[in-house]
Amino acid sequence: MLYNLVQIIEQSAKAFPNKGAFRYMEDSITYKELDIKSNQLAHYLITRGVKKGDRVGILMHRCLETSIAIYGILKSGAAYVPIDPFLPNERIKFLINDCDIKHLVSTDKQSKKIRKILLSKHNLETIIGLSDSQNIKTISWKRVYESLLEDYISVDILSDDLSYILYTSGSTGLPKGIMHTHASALAFAKLVVDLYGFKHTDIIANSAPLHFDVSILGYCSAPLASATTVIISDAHLKFPISLAELTEREKVTIWYSVPLLLIELLHKGDIQNKDFSNMRWVLFAGEAFATKQLRALMQLWPHAEFSNIYGPTELNQCTYYNLKVPPKTDNPIPIGTTWKNTEYKILDDKDNVVEPGEEGLLVVRSATMMKGYWNNKALTEASLYKYKIAEGFEHVYYRTGDLVKLNSNNELLFLGRKDSQIKLRGFRIEIGEIENILLNYQGVTEAAVIVTDIAKDKSLVATILTDGASEVSEDNLTVHCKNNLPIYAVPKQILILKSFPRTSSGKINRREIASMIKSSN
Amino acid sequence: MEKTIIKHIENELAVEVIEDGLEASDDLLGSGIVDSLGMMKLVSFIEEQFTIEVAPEEMVIDNFMTVKNICEYIKTKL
Repeated sequence: MLYNLVQIIEQSAKAFPNKGAFRYMEDSITYKELDIKSNQLAHYLITRGVKKGDRVGILMHRCLETSIAIYGILKSGAAYVPIDPFLPNERIKFLINDCDIKHLVSTDKQSKKIRKILLSKHNLETIIGLSDSQNIKTISWKRVYESLLEDYISVDILSDDLSYILYTSGSTGLPKGIMHTHASALAFAKLVVDLYGFKHTDIIANSAPLHFDVSILGYCSAPLASATTVIISDAHLKFPISLAELTEREKVTIWYSVPLLLIELLHKGDIQNKDFSNMRWVLFAGEAFATKQLRALMQLWPHAEFSNIYGPTELNQCTYYNLKVPPKTDNPIPIGTTWKNTEYKILDDKDNVVEPGEEGLLVVRSATMMKGYWNNKALTEASLYKYKIAEGFEHVYYRTGDLVKLNSNNELLFLGRKDSQIKLRGFRIEIGEIENILLNYQGVTEAAVIVTDIAKDKSLVATILTDGASEVSEDNLTVHCKNNLPIYAVPKQILILKSFPRTSSGKINRREIASMIKSSN
Repeated sequence: MEKTIIKHIENELAVEVIEDGLEASDDLLGSGIVDSLGMMKLVSFIEEQFTIEVAPEEMVIDNFMTVKNICEYIKTKL
């Protein structure tokens, strides 16, 4: 019986020892090798004092070792915490401190970055995966693989133990860590395999970095089916033609990404002249897929089925809408219905269930739901809706904060975020967070960040007011943002205004600012 | 040619300040020195600077992985 993620690899290593589990560029690793190497990493971590409940960081670009890092950390009993290497160093230090990471799994490519991180005060004890010596205990991958297999004593991992923590932006200006257990991650992995009928012959394209929940499908669901996951390199993501060539060469059968990547393939990948006849499922999530674009792609790949996936990171996935034929109208496609082991309600502001067809906020109860936010009980409590059945027994739902309504086919339609949190190219961005960073800058008195279209591209534009005394330039502010925010949250334009348009109650009129920017672009 | 491109990347396109300077053999794409938008800007820069036209089918990893690759590619166009 499977009840933790580690057993996925053990099972596939028994059933298909010599089958490729992961591929990256010219490299690949079989299930047997992955099982062995992750045991060796786990053994090393345990000798360094890692125990159940600990958090171990992964600081890596996309590469083959990501798979060994994930399963090695899990096998040590710890939870893995992916850290985006493209984050500014201040952010990386924040994550490391926030969940008290003592050991970091990495590769030589991050050596320079790590050297900088180690310059300031930290509680790190070990860096795994570095060949050069640093001002801390390091060990190379080569040395990790030299450890004897019989030394590894497996850890008894319960389904309720933590498996990973994914950090996303928080409204207070600091990222929040979403905790998943082995149970919630495994429930997700199983539901995916069941819903899309994953087989061991499938080849899954993973374009997502580890800190993005879309990666769980490639790293957990695919191995559960003993399928092969192709890890797409950072370089391929920047060149649609190369990406299309890779997808064709790898004979990918299942694709999962944000719509943006598919749109780039469609327009710049020269896919008309390539063979994608193996593609049987195209899954997308993270943002709405413009129906016109979706239709154009579906017409090129008529043999594939498409699925619109919805679900905040707190829930992994929770709804889906499958399409066999291209949508007839340009209306946005539904997010569909909840999958198995999941139920939902649509509530009004007072937590009453709305009438069918009325707008309301979606709350979801599912086996795939998070354990809570790391080190933030108040935030966890605030995110839950508890429906009391009897004294001491309640059903717990997650408040998605998303506005939805049912259409006449009983399918959910996504209408938008309740608060100012937005999604841009699949990344979750809290407007308030960017504004807070801008306001931190000496001389900035007010800031309003809005989302608008620049040359048909959804972009962030920041508008600010200054005190008039300090030297504030748009360029300096951009540098300040780059140093403090993930790159996808850095505003494309920063405009210094003399005043803001206001509403009657004196609030900044964002709608007005948006139309001002639109007319000036 | 190499120097011009390196300087432009260091001063205009790099996501973060490159402390020890950029080398012609550094991996521009995998290491996150430039992001997708930066790559687009780099292509326009090359087109203007060397008065060449980068055809869509030439927009591939092999031509843009490193500054060295870029220079080799440009030379085939001159």
